[in-house]
Amino acid sequence: MMKWKSDRGLEARMLLTMILLAVLYLAFLAVLLSMNTSSTVIILFMGGFMFLQYFYSDKMILMSMGAKIVSESEEPELHQIVSRLCAIAGLPMPRIAIVNTSMPNAFATGRNQKNAVVAVTTGIMQQLNRSELEAVLAHELTHVKNRDMMVITIATFLSSIAQILVRFLPFFGGGGSRDRDSGGSFVVMFVVSLVVWIVSFILIRALSRYREFAADRGSAIITGQPSNLASALMKISGAKVPTQDLRKVEGPVSALFIVPAISGSSIMNLFSTHPTLEARIEALKNIERELEA
Amino acid sequence: MGFLDSILGKTSLPEAKTDRLFAISTAAVTLEASLGLKPDGAAGVCIKPMESSRYEAARTEIEDLLKLSFKETGTLYSIQKDEYNYIWVVLSDPDFDDLVTNIQMVCQTLMEQGFGTQLLAAVYRFKGDAIVFWIYNFKLGSYYPFVPQSGQKRDTSQEFRLKSLMEKELPIEKDEAKWYPMWGMPL
Repeated sequence: MMKWKSDRGLEARMLLTMILLAVLYLAFLAVLLSMNTSSTVIILFMGGFMFLQYFYSDKMILMSMGAKIVSESEEPELHQIVSRLCAIAGLPMPRIAIVNTSMPNAFATGRNQKNAVVAVTTGIMQQLNRSELEAVLAHELTHVKNRDMMVITIATFLSSIAQILVRFLPFFGGGGSRDRDSGGSFVVMFVVSLVVWIVSFILIRALSRYREFAADRGSAIITGQPSNLASALMKISGAKVPTQDLRKVEGPVSALFIVPAISGSSIMNLFSTHPTLEARIEALKNIERELEA
Repeated sequence: MGFLDSILGKTSLPEAKTDRLFAISTAAVTLEASLGLKPDGAAGVCIKPMESSRYEAARTEIEDLLKLSFKETGTLYSIQKDEYNYIWVVLSDPDFDDLVTNIQMVCQTLMEQGFGTQLLAAVYRFKGDAIVFWIYNFKLGSYYPFVPQSGQKRDTSQEFRLKSLMEKELPIEKDEAKWYPMWGMPL
């Protein structure tokens, strides 16, 4: 009997990261709520903002990337590839979008499986052959299936609040207050926020890398051919310098890209949203071995 | 369970549902009697191939079984790859029951070998005024009609008509959004 084993190690690391994040955030919330009433306002405000972002994320991301939704008659081949993958994986058919740029990339967005959009750039369509493109699309479909958009949105929520507090607390608390008590609480809050920001940053990056591995694995399982994704990844990463403005492609979107928009060996592993190419290829090789075992 | 799996990034493919695949053999009678749609002597199974030596073994076994059944029923077969690299087992036999039995046999063998998750669809070709395909989606466990026209267009109104007429006889997929077309089928 041929059965896909699940990667227990990966799942355990993912679960641990999520638990650590939750604990960190709960502690942070407790501190925030016990210290300052204005932080409640910040949380509510940010909560509303994140809620909007969550519901309009697909439109926002598509707009910011300049992605255009294409119909079946415009891109019959892409639709055929995706619809077959969806049929195999038991997923609803997402909308498909194309970004007109030579930079080879692909991403998935949308708050749930029904509102999902899978986008590819014209660059990736030119560079990859059909099987490789299929593997990349299966990777993005796994992001949709795994609800990565939701996971990352929730994971980044309180981290962004901590970040805002670190940046803006000096304006609120620092200057005007002569009261020693409020000065002291300001320092504590600043330090707590800073710690939460840094630790959550590292955890989110780790989580995001684990989800990339999970999506690679999903692609291998859905296509049945891990080597196609491996060769696609090698082709894409060997590509030319991106032409897109850094400010345009940076940000939360980067977490759901197939290869990160900002790449470079100078960024430490700990802080990158995507695992290294070598690690991903190695993981795919292991899946290939599993297939034979 | 499904939600937790997705949060933990676990991917597993749904197993093939073959229990309602057989429904086409009785439906074929009604299709011919009341709609003038005759079985067109061709059927196929579409499979997503896998990089595995065990998959190759399964393929060899299927070929052996097909050779045997050719001796018994005279069903001709060919194994083809389509433009999307999916594998097709294409059968042709004027006797519809033989077609159904052989399609069933191919699916059964694949599932016994553990490749049930790789089954995409089974397709039966019918002919009336136009060619009509009945596609069985293994993941949904239901049929849907596909009436292709030239230039990658499909006759949706004819498909809806077939649905409303055959609903009682055949397990037809209720969600039309899942009626995925299959262009360039080798049958």
